[in-house]
Amino acid sequence: MTLGFDVLGFLISWITLFGTYAIISMSLNLEIGFTGMADFGKVAFYGIGAYLAATITAIIFLVVNGIKCPLHSVEAIVALKKCASKNPLLNIGTFVLCLFVTFFVTGGIGYLISYPTLRVGPAFLGITVLSFGELLRIFMRHFEPTGGTKGLAGIPHPLAWISNPRLRDGIYALVILAIMLLTYLVSERIANSPFGRIMRTVRDDEIASLCLGKHVPRIKASVFFLASGFAGIAGVLLAYYLGSVNPDMFVPAVTFNVWAMVIFGGMGNNKGAIVGSAVITFVDRISFVVNLLFPEAIISPDYIRWMIIGVLILVTLLFKPQGLVPESPMKSPALKIISDELEGDNGA
Amino acid sequence: MVGPTELLNTVWIGIIYMIIAIPLTLSYRVTRIINFVHINFITIGAYVGVILFLQGVNSLLLLLPASFLFGAAIAVLNHFIAFSPLEKRGANPVILMIASLGLWIFYKYMIYAILDLGQKVFRTNLFSVIPRATSLPSVSLGNYVLSGHFFAALLVAGVIITILYILLSKTAIGRAIRAVADNPILAEISGIPRERVVSITWALCGGMAAIGGLLWAVFAIATPEVGDALILQIFAVSVIGGLESLLWTGIGAFIISGAENILMSILNATLGVPVSFRPFISFSALLLIILAKPPLGAGGGLPYRFKVGLERFKR
Repeated sequence: MTLGFDVLGFLISWITLFGTYAIISMSLNLEIGFTGMADFGKVAFYGIGAYLAATITAIIFLVVNGIKCPLHSVEAIVALKKCASKNPLLNIGTFVLCLFVTFFVTGGIGYLISYPTLRVGPAFLGITVLSFGELLRIFMRHFEPTGGTKGLAGIPHPLAWISNPRLRDGIYALVILAIMLLTYLVSERIANSPFGRIMRTVRDDEIASLCLGKHVPRIKASVFFLASGFAGIAGVLLAYYLGSVNPDMFVPAVTFNVWAMVIFGGMGNNKGAIVGSAVITFVDRISFVVNLLFPEAIISPDYIRWMIIGVLILVTLLFKPQGLVPESPMKSPALKIISDELEGDNGA
Repeated sequence: MVGPTELLNTVWIGIIYMIIAIPLTLSYRVTRIINFVHINFITIGAYVGVILFLQGVNSLLLLLPASFLFGAAIAVLNHFIAFSPLEKRGANPVILMIASLGLWIFYKYMIYAILDLGQKVFRTNLFSVIPRATSLPSVSLGNYVLSGHFFAALLVAGVIITILYILLSKTAIGRAIRAVADNPILAEISGIPRERVVSITWALCGGMAAIGGLLWAVFAIATPEVGDALILQIFAVSVIGGLESLLWTGIGAFIISGAENILMSILNATLGVPVSFRPFISFSALLLIILAKPPLGAGGGLPYRFKVGLERFKR
């Protein structure tokens, strides 16, 4: 049996998926790993990000080119296809604008939704955000301006002016990797800052940090703002990669995937989140290929994959709660000076 | 606008919410776990009924115990394979909640896989079944025909709630359950076998939720998403009870069901809100309750924060 297997294409699609999921996993890790907030609605912010990017881009392109028609209409999709590769500057400018706008808007929405729930305990945050995501999906299915169930399509790719599709996807994957690296650096910086230390106190003992004069809900809300913003950015990247968004892409299952990545990789460690997302997205891609090979399986491999995700979460929690990459001690300038001095003493 | 249909829906949906939400509150009180597997109990209960119905079992008297046993078995199994080992290791409530999330995902897709398999074996559509298990006589009141199912639901709910009440308030097991719920350590010191009490509670809660699912399947429809579709309402109902009071959970069931049916039909008639926006009412109710009357200390939260809560805590 010959497989028309395209290794480069597989790698590019995997890296794109991996980068996107790594950003969300790191943002979830900020919440659950460092601050102890169980956010079961990551997909809500991912979806808001994707929809915002799609809408903003479509509006900008239609307005700049002076076309007047509803965003989801066929004319709009045709017009967007036509004017997508006209002006490289416009494409990149829109992309950057979307990243900024989405970060603040999704962050703000996250802050608002966390306001009532953070004050009554982590369980309520989980259940509220979980249902928020589902409600948002129901709402988008009925919201006509963004196309209802069909969603939006034909969103101009930021690199649409590169004519070779392979090269375009490759460069876009590199862009995603760069943004992932940036997220990693920012998360790492936050986790090792004084604020990161407060986050860990909140996780380990809320009452103790309260007694030390820390405003626990405010700290949690700030972390939630940041994490939701990052998830929104991941959504932007996804929307441009696929070129279309529709409500049924953002089902709770996406959140479960991200949770499995964070728990499997190791909570409280950004490297763990990256490792976890690399492993699980790789398995995901492979299972996609397997799916194509066995279309007539007795039980759909999709269900098996989800069952494995559930078991993976449980087994990791039961037998290796620290995950693949355990949490490492903090790095801070003061600690570094002290340890350097100690080593110096030992050497002398 | 608000006719007898809405009122009747309020009553029977309220009954089902009550049967499902009371065990959620009870299991939370005894084990301190926000249990997402509760959703699966509903679906499992519904499908045990459906599969028996397709095999020709046509009596509620047989379907109810079967659902109960299945739900109870799964709940006890969860306790032994996941929650008990985690608790022994000293996992915090958030970790237990995540474990229940993992179990939820596993069971949800296991149900899908089994139904997929069953569909190929039995060659019938299992993903959306309407089992009308009993042929009960219907009663006509004026222009409206009340189906026998409605009275059966009332009867089943009445019997279950009465049994639960007697069990909790009059028997030794009930006393032990309440003792563990109030103070697990003190209960253990007084010689109550905590592990056994907790597993009995799980069996009770899982079984009751499964019966709720069965009733839903018999009176409405069975799909693999039946539990997932109810999650928001059930949690809103339990939060009305503060995850603490069984009585208020029962009342909350009717509040939420009333809001969903009566308020929704008013909104639909006056503002033209589509009926599929029904969950938004439950969601707003959930947020309102959390803001107005936060369940203090529940779900691992600190008993402070809002101004009102702070003052109540000081008193």
